[in-house]
Amino acid sequence: MTTTEDILLQVNNVRHKKSDGTLFLMSERIGWLMGSKDTFSVSYKYADIKMQKISPDGKAKIQLQVVLHDGGASTFHFNSPDGEPAQRADRDKVKELLQTLLPKFKRKVNKELEEKERLLRENPSLLQLYQDLVITRIATADEFWAQHASEFLNKTNVKQDVGVSGAFLADIKPQTDGCNGLKYNLNVDTINSIYKTYPAVRRKFFEYVPGRMSESEFWTRFFQSHYFHRDRINLSSKDLFTDCARQDEKVIQQELQEELDDPMLDLRRMTDSTVGDGYGSDSSAVGVGQTNTATVSMIRRFNQHSINVLKASLTPEGAAAAAATPAKPQQNGQSNGEASSAAPPAERDPAAKRARLEERTCYEDLEAAPPSAGQPLSLTKVERYLSGPTPDLAQLGSEPPSASAARRLRENVLHWRPFTNKVLDPQTAVSVLGDLSPGGALMKTSHKDRNASADLPDHVKTELAAIYRSAGELLRHFWACFPVSTPALEEKVAKMEDTLHKFHQLKIQNFEDTVCRQAGLGPEVTAHLNQMLSAAYAKYESWRSLRRSLQR
Amino acid sequence: MRLNVDGLLVYFPYDYIYPEQFSYMLELKKGLDAKGHLVLEMPSGTGKTISLLSLIVSYMLERPLEITKLVYCSRTVPEIEKVLEELAKLNRFIEKQTGQKTKLVGLAVSSRKNLCIHPEVSQEREGKVVDSRCYGLTAGYVRARAARADTAAGDGDGADPVPTCQFFEQLEESGRDATLQAGIYSLDDLKHYGRERGWCPYFVARRAIQQANIIVYSYHYLLDPKIAEVVSKEIVQSSVVVFDEAHNIDNVCIDSMSVHINKRMLERCSNNISAMEKRIANLKETDAARLQDEYQRMVDGLRDAQMKRENNQLLANPVLPDQILQEAVPGNIRTAEHFLNFMKRLVEYLKMRLRVQHVVQESPAGFLKDIFNKICVDRKPLRFCAERLTSMIRTLELTDMADLSPLVLVSHFATLVSTYTKGFTIIVEPSDDKTPNVYNPILYFRCLDSSLAIKPVFERYQSVVITSGTLSPLDMYPKILDFHPVIITSFTMTLARPCILPMIVTKGNDQVTISSKFESREDPAVIRNYGNLLVDMVTAVPDGVVCFFTSYMYMESVVSSWYDQGIITQLQKHKLLFIETQDAAETSLALLNYIQACENGRGAVLLSVARGKVSEGVDFDHHLGRCVLMFGIPYMYTQSRILKARLEYLRDTFQIRENDFLTFDAVRHASQCVGRAMRGKTDYGIMVFADKRFQRSDKRTKLPLWIQEHLKDSMCNLSTEEAVQISKRWLRRMAQPFSRQDQLGISLLTLQQLQSEEMQNKMRERVTHRI
Repeated sequence: MTTTEDILLQVNNVRHKKSDGTLFLMSERIGWLMGSKDTFSVSYKYADIKMQKISPDGKAKIQLQVVLHDGGASTFHFNSPDGEPAQRADRDKVKELLQTLLPKFKRKVNKELEEKERLLRENPSLLQLYQDLVITRIATADEFWAQHASEFLNKTNVKQDVGVSGAFLADIKPQTDGCNGLKYNLNVDTINSIYKTYPAVRRKFFEYVPGRMSESEFWTRFFQSHYFHRDRINLSSKDLFTDCARQDEKVIQQELQEELDDPMLDLRRMTDSTVGDGYGSDSSAVGVGQTNTATVSMIRRFNQHSINVLKASLTPEGAAAAAATPAKPQQNGQSNGEASSAAPPAERDPAAKRARLEERTCYEDLEAAPPSAGQPLSLTKVERYLSGPTPDLAQLGSEPPSASAARRLRENVLHWRPFTNKVLDPQTAVSVLGDLSPGGALMKTSHKDRNASADLPDHVKTELAAIYRSAGELLRHFWACFPVSTPALEEKVAKMEDTLHKFHQLKIQNFEDTVCRQAGLGPEVTAHLNQMLSAAYAKYESWRSLRRSLQR
Repeated sequence: MRLNVDGLLVYFPYDYIYPEQFSYMLELKKGLDAKGHLVLEMPSGTGKTISLLSLIVSYMLERPLEITKLVYCSRTVPEIEKVLEELAKLNRFIEKQTGQKTKLVGLAVSSRKNLCIHPEVSQEREGKVVDSRCYGLTAGYVRARAARADTAAGDGDGADPVPTCQFFEQLEESGRDATLQAGIYSLDDLKHYGRERGWCPYFVARRAIQQANIIVYSYHYLLDPKIAEVVSKEIVQSSVVVFDEAHNIDNVCIDSMSVHINKRMLERCSNNISAMEKRIANLKETDAARLQDEYQRMVDGLRDAQMKRENNQLLANPVLPDQILQEAVPGNIRTAEHFLNFMKRLVEYLKMRLRVQHVVQESPAGFLKDIFNKICVDRKPLRFCAERLTSMIRTLELTDMADLSPLVLVSHFATLVSTYTKGFTIIVEPSDDKTPNVYNPILYFRCLDSSLAIKPVFERYQSVVITSGTLSPLDMYPKILDFHPVIITSFTMTLARPCILPMIVTKGNDQVTISSKFESREDPAVIRNYGNLLVDMVTAVPDGVVCFFTSYMYMESVVSSWYDQGIITQLQKHKLLFIETQDAAETSLALLNYIQACENGRGAVLLSVARGKVSEGVDFDHHLGRCVLMFGIPYMYTQSRILKARLEYLRDTFQIRENDFLTFDAVRHASQCVGRAMRGKTDYGIMVFADKRFQRSDKRTKLPLWIQEHLKDSMCNLSTEEAVQISKRWLRRMAQPFSRQDQLGISLLTLQQLQSEEMQNKMRERVTHRI
């Protein structure tokens, strides 16, 4: 099993529990091999390791301890025969490697744990189930999360993309190389950021590299270009990025032409009546003095940069799509332009606007508390819900069904004649009635049951409810395995049966023995539970015997 | 809930109420009872609009004879739409409570640009162009010509059909006497209504003004005499007029009566005149009778009978109704040629006046004297200029109003300058303030007295309510608008937690005083300290941060310095950076993205300008503005001659000291900017005033009461670091969950709590707490 993994570091002469061996650091776990064996006697996944500890400098033994999340720990003693410096060197190598490795796994684990903890906190019933199953060791935690809470976990599994930092261009700090030059250090992240924010540059890159220039030359040009420097006013035609700038300009202009979808923000539509040329004061009230065109264009760049950064983080797939087809936009740009110019600007949606207005004008804290929303309907198969029992089309006349029903009823009542030949004779009727009344022969059990449930003390009742919930969940999983068609299901059904047994012994019998005894209640409290369970056992037995006979 | 406000049953469409809302209604009720004018200041976000609407509408329902109409003026189109939304909500509530349909008709009136549904005309972006094209399709003589062409076509003459607007025609045909059904009509509802019936929504709304109980429109429709004469003339006296967001009302008044003329306009005027001359010559050959007819009307001194038809009234007199002469047009401008000659002379005279090398300032009287001496033009014909031109345009059947606008402007100027001798000034400057070295002479005819335009409103209507979040100091408005309110009150915000944190930052970490005063504003140390303050706040504050500069120019220079100092880079590390520009479209786009950045959790910082479009019209509620910084005090450009003339006038007429007025104006804009962040009691925000001068008492005491209340003395002289520390602590506190229970009983009341003895006493106390 060692062969399949990359060995990152191998340190000989490491003692663990007073026996010599070799310590291996692999890509996903740490392992210790006893000198004579060929399987790991100690092996931990990095994800399970909480932290590492090292012995202080003055100590005679050079040791390293890994502490696990579950509280366990292992200590490794480095005793290289070359003396203390070599031992320390060995230890430090391991320490440093672990230092780089652990955080990568740690974050993942912590996040998962946090997520699970949050789920449990937010769903009391899930927590109850967890307590019943995991803490009593009926099922392991992994099983629990995989089987019983999978629908909770799946929902949160949406991956989030890392956005682009607003200052990514500024983060590339140029360094002087000592001879009148500047050195820019670009890493993959920065380049990706540039691509995401300025798709035009990406397109350029694919156009030019490696056909016409090398990658480094491209980036050199990029930084030299005015495109990078934001106060570009005069664009020289030789510059590689001139048309990038133009394209940006075009995009912005196009966006300006489009109607803003939020009427509350459109400053152009703010004022109602224009006083007209020559009336009133001109804009002199606002800002007096010459405005510097360089500054104005710089301000525009800032805005544009922020807008691009925002866009890049909002539509990752859009940017990716644009990147995938670098040459295409030029081709269909024209036809797009025509189509959009020909179509009249769409009328803004009044409903959306109204909703926005309502939101803006409403004072939430003045409103009465809204009635608590009912459980949302979540459907696994929508089509089944929608195409339920189809109504009889013939009966769907113009009048509402209730009216027609009422009419039919009236007619029926008018023509009603008792079927005297089909009624019971009076004596039988009376005895049946007696049997069906409370206390009658047929009503004994139900009546008693109702009384029993009403008489249960509160704490018993809540506990019983919890047990019912857990049992129900387990039974649901058990029955969901039938018909057993795959080996996986076979395994599961066996497992579930086992779990049910455990549950029965640990929980239900415990409940019966302690709680019910104390409260002086008979076995009838759990009768139904036991009935359900025995039904499940019976089913399992019959399935097994069937299977055995088939196998034979 | 249903409230009992001083014996009046008030429908309030919420289940809870803020105590100050109730106090507000109480005061409002008193004012309405007294049939007087009111000045009410209440912080934004405490539900001013709904309190106003609830009380006045309930008043109207209860005592329909005392208040017949509510005219609600707001500033921007989004504001108008919000008011209608709240009105609709109120209406629904009343209907639910009473179980029957109300008979209220409420509607928004807006310009053609916002209401037009004509497939071509409505595509125009410019309001002026829409107006002009609409006029070209709906004017009386256009329609008459169309009718003639139609009959001609019927006869088989093959004349081209004259285009008209089908929506207007259908309205004329079938909807002339139709009235709107009871209900609340927003702009979209009106459009929908119009589309359904094929009627023009604009004219439906205009005609419904008479019928409606509640009208919501922009200030201009009441304050600008040119528009008010056309739109609001027939609104009954027993109406209540509300000016919401009224902190800038004096500027609207002044703008509506001011004119400026430059050389290019005069050139276009001359072109207009020669075009009209040609037209008259033409007309003389073909249809001399029409000119004769017009002349006869002038002699008779009758105002044009067609004036009554509202669709013809694109041009109204720019002077206020009581100033319009009820006499015949003077003889020397009665015939069309004479009038054109007259205008020609006037334009030439103005051209001559513009040929100046130095600044000239004179009063209207001096101007009239000079014009009389130079070209022998009397005052009287000047006064009739506007009316005479309107008549001529109609006679000549001209439709392209946008093209004629320079000539109209000059005629308006002539009428104004000869009507008003007081409260106006004429300034001729050889060059613009912005470009002092370029020769570009402009003649400013400025109104100095904001009370002129609003005077008829105060005189005519029963109650006028002036309200806003920032009206402090309250005594200023009655002075500059020259009226006597019966009630002046400022309401503070009752808060369950200190959800605003005003701070005055006076120095940077290096102890350099920060201030935008002229001597030090370009100092790199000051700019750097402003930058560091912003960077530190941006690091500490989540989501949106908004900063306001005193002017575009200052912002531009600061931004470019910040770029050199590396501050921009530091900002970008924490948040996305957006900057307001002078271009409205670009700014809108930046704003949209700013909001998107705040919504998706990235956080953003917006650099903006006090008095700019953003500071006037956009709210930064909740996470959109967790912190607002005001860099410097947004004083007006004090070197401007127009401002100087106004200050002088204010001093001489109303005894307002220059400094008082300047500070008042600056501080109201500063608090307006800063108040953008607070839109409700669940909201919270930091307000940083970054200027040493704010801590002086003449500035501090001019802040609205609800900000002053939270501005402790210990917060008035902070350094950057102190401010950041305080903010951090405060933000941690504010970010705790805040539920209704925390508010209830303190800043939020149920009906029972409201009716309790104790609360009523408190309320009374609050009300008596006047300034």
